[in-house]
Amino acid sequence: MSKPILKVEKLTKRYPNGVLALQNVSFSVMPGEFLVIIGLSGSGKSTLLKSLNHLVEPTSGQILFGDKDITRSSTKDARETRQQMAMIFQQFNLIPRHTVLQNALTGRLGKTGTLKSIFGRFSKKDISDAYSFLELVGIRDKANIRADQLSGGQQQRVAIARALMQNPSVLLADEPVASLDPATCHVVMDYLKKVNRELGITVICNLHFLSLVRQYADRVIALKQGQIVFEGSPDQISAEWFRRIYGEDAREVEVE
Amino acid sequence: MNKHHIQRYVFDAFNFSIIFAILFYGIFTHSSESLPDLKKSLLVLSGGLVLGTFLSYWGNKKGRRTLGETLFSSAEDTAVATDHSLLRSLWGFQLIVSFLVLLVAAGRQTEFSLIELLNKDGIASAANLFHELASPDWGLLPVAIVKVIETIFIAFLATVFALPVAFILSFFAAKNIMRGPTAFGVYGVLRTSLNVVRSVEPIIWAIIFAVWVGVGPFAGMLALMIQSIASLTKQYSEIIEGVSEGPIEGIVSTGANPIQTVWFGVVPQVILPFISFTIYRWDINVRMATIIGFAGGGGIGTILYQYSMRSQWNQVGCLIVVIAFVVWVLDILSAYIREALK
Repeated sequence: MSKPILKVEKLTKRYPNGVLALQNVSFSVMPGEFLVIIGLSGSGKSTLLKSLNHLVEPTSGQILFGDKDITRSSTKDARETRQQMAMIFQQFNLIPRHTVLQNALTGRLGKTGTLKSIFGRFSKKDISDAYSFLELVGIRDKANIRADQLSGGQQQRVAIARALMQNPSVLLADEPVASLDPATCHVVMDYLKKVNRELGITVICNLHFLSLVRQYADRVIALKQGQIVFEGSPDQISAEWFRRIYGEDAREVEVE
Repeated sequence: MNKHHIQRYVFDAFNFSIIFAILFYGIFTHSSESLPDLKKSLLVLSGGLVLGTFLSYWGNKKGRRTLGETLFSSAEDTAVATDHSLLRSLWGFQLIVSFLVLLVAAGRQTEFSLIELLNKDGIASAANLFHELASPDWGLLPVAIVKVIETIFIAFLATVFALPVAFILSFFAAKNIMRGPTAFGVYGVLRTSLNVVRSVEPIIWAIIFAVWVGVGPFAGMLALMIQSIASLTKQYSEIIEGVSEGPIEGIVSTGANPIQTVWFGVVPQVILPFISFTIYRWDINVRMATIIGFAGGGGIGTILYQYSMRSQWNQVGCLIVVIAFVVWVLDILSAYIREALK
């Protein structure tokens, strides 16, 4: 059996306002896995993902990335980690006034000098890579259109292209389809699956809809009030588990 | 004794002491020309402060709400507040007396006089002035045009020089960029010094620079530039503080360094409002450049000052028409450009 790419030990996060977002969360992620994290809003899913790439600093616990302990890193090391763990967001977080191509190119900022990037002097290889990743997510023809002219689903695909530009080994996806309509949900999820299968990038994805989980996840972790309450394969989530995760009154919603 | 108590005693003390001081001088001094004896005034004021604190304390103890108590009361105090009407309560009486005393004192200080306002000779000379203003001396028009162009360029150069300085400073004056203790210290020092600079009117800067580089347009330009740097930095930094976090988070997540994060995450969001505010600042500067001319800052303001001092109202009329026209045109122009930038 191969070694886990990411090992999280007793991760705890308490925000300055006293909210305990994560409590002793431990899990491992295997290379090439499509791991989905589920749970109600406020269960700590987002905090968990953001502590992995230092957008949020954990209070205690340990994160091993490969063989490296990345829990407490200098700002420079944190930037290195972020390059290898790309991230996409619920609100896409693109630069609205820049073109699709320019947005994709920002995925190379970590490997480009400050002055070069400010003057927009990305290398020829960066530009051709950007085009091929845009091609991969089926949006190459929009390369010169401003990002804010695109639909939500298209913007999320640009965000995936930007993430791929980082040549990451892990892709963190924080509610990637929560602000999309059900039809586009599948398009974006399919591209994530493609990235996972074809490029072998490990995907850790926060999701709301169980039907999507069954369809895309290799393995599922359920969080409730900052603690792991379920870990297993998606088809193990029975009706009983569902109620335990989401509460007694919850009812399952299908995404077609 | 909590924070609210201290606030109300301080307020009442100052309130009473000012009323006492005004009444004291109103009664015991007859000529407004006589200079106050500072030592005696200080005695009167501190006597008022002591008396005011005592009255406030005594009033509150007796259940009479003073003005201080009404203004600074904690939530639980308000909950048990009695429903005294304005005239029947101590605080209402205090408010009315304070207002009346201040009104009378202000009237005396500003030498307010209906007799002067309605004086026949006065009205006649004002009518004469308006009559002359209304028939401008168009012979002065070429000079006025040359001078107003000077004014426009003073404003233009001041804005252009202020722009890059304010652009860079504004990031250091934005709370959301300056996180962490050191950065926040820089932010505090910068904000404070900008406030000091802004609170000195440009006309004072014009006097300072007139001494430094000599009377003329250059001094005026420097005065406006200093004022513009301070104002633009404040406006820019407020725009920066209002940017959305999403794109910044997106850029940070790629592993970009702080400079790249600001350049890609913040700058694209603020560039249009920056341009809009800059054009508006130029517009304001043209108007201010006219006033600065009065203090030796060059441009049309300087000759406006000279002609009005010599009571040459026909010439002043011509200058006013030119200034009004230019301000009007620039106003429309800048509004038009700013609208297009949205």
